[in-house]
Amino acid sequence: MRTALAIARKELSIYFTTPWAYAVFTAMVALSSFFFVDLLQKFKQVQDMARLMGWEQMPPDFSVYRNLTDGVVVQLWGTVLIITLFVAPFLSMRLFAEEKRNKTFELLMTAPVRPIEIVVGKYLGGLGVISATLGLTIVFPLLLSAFGKAESGTALEWSTVLLGYGGLLVWGATCMAVGLFISALTESQMLAAFLTFSVLLPWMLLSGVAQSVEEPLRSVLSYLSFDAQLQNMLKGVMDVQSLVFFASVIVFSLLLTHRTVEAQRWA
Amino acid sequence: MPMIEVQHLTKRYRDRVAVEDLTFSVEEGEILGFLGPNGAGKSTTMKILTGFLPPSAGTARVGGFDVFEQPLEVKRRIGYLPETPPLYPEMTVRGYLKFVASLKGLPGRGLKVEVERVAGLTGVSHVLDRVIQNLSKGYKQRVGIAQALLGSPPVLILDEPTEGLDPAQRAEVRALIKGLAGKHTVILSTHILPEVTMTCEKALIINQGKIVAYDEIRKLASLHGQAESASLEEVFIKLTAA
Repeated sequence: MRTALAIARKELSIYFTTPWAYAVFTAMVALSSFFFVDLLQKFKQVQDMARLMGWEQMPPDFSVYRNLTDGVVVQLWGTVLIITLFVAPFLSMRLFAEEKRNKTFELLMTAPVRPIEIVVGKYLGGLGVISATLGLTIVFPLLLSAFGKAESGTALEWSTVLLGYGGLLVWGATCMAVGLFISALTESQMLAAFLTFSVLLPWMLLSGVAQSVEEPLRSVLSYLSFDAQLQNMLKGVMDVQSLVFFASVIVFSLLLTHRTVEAQRWA
Repeated sequence: MPMIEVQHLTKRYRDRVAVEDLTFSVEEGEILGFLGPNGAGKSTTMKILTGFLPPSAGTARVGGFDVFEQPLEVKRRIGYLPETPPLYPEMTVRGYLKFVASLKGLPGRGLKVEVERVAGLTGVSHVLDRVIQNLSKGYKQRVGIAQALLGSPPVLILDEPTEGLDPAQRAEVRALIKGLAGKHTVILSTHILPEVTMTCEKALIINQGKIVAYDEIRKLASLHGQAESASLEEVFIKLTAA
């Protein structure tokens, strides 16, 4: 396990000594602050309108705007989710592809290290960088709780916010696991990023496809869809079934990665 | 028991044969020069010995362990410098050597001393804190050699260690390798023939995947029907002409 940690540490140090991590951080912060400001504006508009007309007169789907938690943070997590889908492939693409291109894969494979330690080490490094990326977005709820006001209690309902944030982390971990596997298949980083993206996006949108098919296929598809599984978690509803779903996707991807690395020995 | 024992080793890529029926052995403390024209199968053989590629047929044993059956035991005993030195361009030399040392499972306590030791041996002490991508080709090659020496493994497999070095550096590396004899078993591939005459006791010449000569260097010339005074170069050209 010590070697796995050494590999994870090396991955992180490379992420943070090259511009990659910083470029991704910037993209994440820039895009999410853009949406954050947008959501705040919308929130203010609805609140102003409600003050004039009273909440009873407002259309029912505006009721989420009654508090900052549901009106801003939960919706913000929804957009961060999409941003993660776009940036995670750029973080995961180099994990194996770069080693193969640099010929350093030979170093890993001829060192007294088991393939499982390589895979776990790489994945831990990937988890570290995606957590750092998502960690930056926690600044938005902090801002809200510092400057926001509510008629009763605290400005934010932290249990909901944090559970949603936990959902985001699980989603980031899933993207990295899928990306890790695809990165192990090729030595071209661009190809790895593109393939990862084109696996994650349709998978995310499966729930849309599910709408147009008959049962029982419909239930199967919407169960498999990332989108459907994430919705509850982001709203702050703890759902064991979703956790099991994402854990299985992660474990399955890691097993496939392990097979791919191990297959080198049989080539 | 020989340190490295290769029997009937064959490697095929689909219908192309890279290495065919190699049999040789290297005694403990010996330096074997591994010669052959480009594409003869030198690197392939080395990749099999280090457990990076599996053989298609035949066996290879290092320190009594089969490279395919007990890869970890074999890898623990080998220091390997591949054709292209396996370096991370973004890391500093010190960071890189520390990383390789922990990959090899060297104890954390002596790690710093060990890094300084191999850096001293290969003459990279004064560039330890520089980033690898800014080093010259010769220094990169030396960092590659330093990496192989970490933890002083009993067996060293060096694929063209003097590639990219200038004549002075080449002489240094040659002296370094010569100094390793006795303590380490070394397989050294190169196509610079005087190098072999200067550093190795035995040479193995392969051509198109097959052994064409395998003997002590001073015997090679007479064995292959040439005058005692014939240089290794003449023998090499004659044997690989076919």
